[in-house]
Amino acid sequence: MLQRLMFIPSRLLQAIPVVFGVTLIVFFMAHLLPGDPAQAILGDKATPEGVAALRTQLGLDKPIWAQYLLFLAHIGQGDLGTSFTYQRPVTEIVLQAIPVTMSLVVFALILTLAISIPLAAIAATAPDKPRDLAVRTFTLIGQGMPQFWVGIMLILLVAVRWRLFPVGGFGTTFLDHIYYLFLPALTLAISLSPTAIRSLRTSTITVLGSDYVATARSKGAAGVPLFRQHVLRNAAMPTVSVIGVHLGYLVGGSIVIEKVFAIPGLGSLMLDAIYARDFPTIQAVTLFVGIFVTLVGIFTDVVYTLMDPRVNLGAKGRA
Amino acid sequence: MTRRPGAAIAALGVAAALLLGGCTATASGSTNDKPVRGGDLVFARATGVTSLDTTTVHNNVSIFTAEQLMETLFTVSDDGKDIEPWLATGYEISDDELTYSVTLRDDVEFSNGQKMTAEDVKFSIDQDTKTADTGWGYINEAIKEVSVVDDLTVEFELKYVSTPFLAVLTMFSNQIVPKDYAGKSADEFYENPIGTGPFVLDEWKKGQYFKVVRNENYWQTDKPYLDSVQWNVVADVNTRKLQLQGGQVQIDVQPDWSSFDSLSETPGIVTKAFESTLLSDIAFNQEREPFNDVHVRRAIAYAIDREALVDAVLFGHGTPANSLIAPGTPYYDKNVEGPSFDLEKAKKELAKSEYPDGFSTTLLISSGNTEKSSTAQIIQAALKKVGIDVEITPLGPTAAHQAMLSMDYDMTLSGWTMDIPDPDQWTTFAVDPAGGSNSDNTGYNNPEVIAINDKAKQESDPKKRAELYSELQQITGDDAFLAYLYYSPYGFALSEKVKGFHVTPLGNYHLEDVYLSE
Repeated sequence: MLQRLMFIPSRLLQAIPVVFGVTLIVFFMAHLLPGDPAQAILGDKATPEGVAALRTQLGLDKPIWAQYLLFLAHIGQGDLGTSFTYQRPVTEIVLQAIPVTMSLVVFALILTLAISIPLAAIAATAPDKPRDLAVRTFTLIGQGMPQFWVGIMLILLVAVRWRLFPVGGFGTTFLDHIYYLFLPALTLAISLSPTAIRSLRTSTITVLGSDYVATARSKGAAGVPLFRQHVLRNAAMPTVSVIGVHLGYLVGGSIVIEKVFAIPGLGSLMLDAIYARDFPTIQAVTLFVGIFVTLVGIFTDVVYTLMDPRVNLGAKGRA
Repeated sequence: MTRRPGAAIAALGVAAALLLGGCTATASGSTNDKPVRGGDLVFARATGVTSLDTTTVHNNVSIFTAEQLMETLFTVSDDGKDIEPWLATGYEISDDELTYSVTLRDDVEFSNGQKMTAEDVKFSIDQDTKTADTGWGYINEAIKEVSVVDDLTVEFELKYVSTPFLAVLTMFSNQIVPKDYAGKSADEFYENPIGTGPFVLDEWKKGQYFKVVRNENYWQTDKPYLDSVQWNVVADVNTRKLQLQGGQVQIDVQPDWSSFDSLSETPGIVTKAFESTLLSDIAFNQEREPFNDVHVRRAIAYAIDREALVDAVLFGHGTPANSLIAPGTPYYDKNVEGPSFDLEKAKKELAKSEYPDGFSTTLLISSGNTEKSSTAQIIQAALKKVGIDVEITPLGPTAAHQAMLSMDYDMTLSGWTMDIPDPDQWTTFAVDPAGGSNSDNTGYNNPEVIAINDKAKQESDPKKRAELYSELQQITGDDAFLAYLYYSPYGFALSEKVKGFHVTPLGNYHLEDVYLSE
């Protein structure tokens, strides 16, 4: 087992240039945006002297390559700079937002699985029957509806009309968080589950027709135990990688959803930072998302390896 | 509304004015209700507090919030026209009008229980003055020296006669804080300030929410009524509206004008449009051709149908502008004849100019602002009718502002709101090239107007001052140094349970008067 996970260190090494590339792109893209952060901080009625003084204080008067090297040196020390808007360490602000977004993503993932597994099972056990068609219609509609629209519709119906859930926000206690994040997580789940259902349905149909399931059936296995022990594990393999790929999109999607639901996570932080030309915050959020997506890729491989004994990503010729 | 002596009369006046103006009744108009103690008020607004250091912070969201924690010696009346004592009880002016002797209330304590004295006042004003280059300190330009006479008397010696001086003491940057920041550094202090305001900071999650709770040491006994106030950051305008409808928040700051009327039809929700000091205008770069030609500027000012703009952009919630001074500002003259819509006059003016057949030019706007982009399109269509081709050039907000500062534009959509209840802050900024901004970044330079502005600044007789400002408003209108577009109010949507909520023309509010009905 340990040997099969030997690919992890080399994957992590490969991730370094990727992350480095992210820093480079992010830094220069943020600096290509027109507008002066010093001006943005001081606002409409600032004097030119005030702006000049602040530019010096923020190091914006240095050449751009010097600013980049300084940026890298600071990253090395775990210092991502000071937010122009809030005048405090970006790391602190980002660390405050990460758990919020992560909670949303994890919750969305749980809801996605809770929706997808039963629906895929219902569809796959009766291909082309009415219930399969119903599930397929659901996936079609789910994929066709824009995420933000689903969010607004859920708010209008569930939050404003029925007042079952809050319209937005994050709350303060753990139970609060679950309560506040339910609708936004459901919104993300509705847009992610069609992909998961399709992949799971197709692989389930394949698995159900396989010899070993027939063997299991002949031994008397049936119903949910058969599905759980013999089908799901094998059928889930392709879905794991599909979801792994989509986790990146999920973090991206959460930016829109966080805005719609006023959730104070990375997405909201990023948008505010872009409006304010708050370079250090933009850089820190992008860097984090870059690292996150890279790690998810590696993590997906690990899950894959653990689930299927035949997979050996460390084997020669594969890595 | 028993905030201060005479406030009841002021409230009646405001209610009467609003009724005459055909507005819906104000929350403060419900004087029959007895204020209820307790309750938590929640606001939803687009952006969060960035700093509480009012001597340097430039965004109104932070300023209006900080004002709940720290207070000034004088304050602005509800209608924005008068100055009323607040932490001070009154003042005396020397015969040469160069020395103001201000007496302080003797019952004011900071939220930490420490008594407020003249030492604190001197410290606070001096700290603000020090920020002249990076903050708001230039507002104190007229002050030569602040000295402590005794515990409850402060003397302000001025460099020159300055009638706006008392208004300057209502400026948020002149809020009173404990001497030496009560032993902290300025940075530490403003993370959790100690003030004399009705509330104290409870929790501040940057970019998320800002929560204050009742200051038990507040000098106005029995106030504030509310237990706590929280401002949530809700960037999306629709989400704010829905949170209000869903009962999650009680006040929605700045709902969009397009849905303003429909919001008031929702049961339990009222919308209020408070008179503001907001002027929207087109600024001309008069250091460039053809805008150095007064006939060109007038032609443009005449060519714009302001009523149409108010209808299309503000959905009827505003009025066409006739002066550079907005109605919520003292000495606004509704009778001055600023250029109004008249296509024939526009064509005649253009004919008198060096460009009788028209010309091509650009209109700079800041991108991502729907109000500005639709205004620009209407202006573009209007100017085409007199032969002026306008290309709209959108830039990011900060880039657009920078272009304006460096005078790198032809025409741009601009605007202004007041911070003190005296027109001088704006007129000096707008018409005096030495006022710090090259005449609102237009390069406008009319010695006659500059002289009138200087005279008005030093005139202490309100009647004579009014005459001077009327003259100034008329000449600047004739010069069309800006093309005034419209005055728009501050829009708020709130739960009808919120009582006593009033916004002054400066945009700020006194939350110690607000309560939630059962």
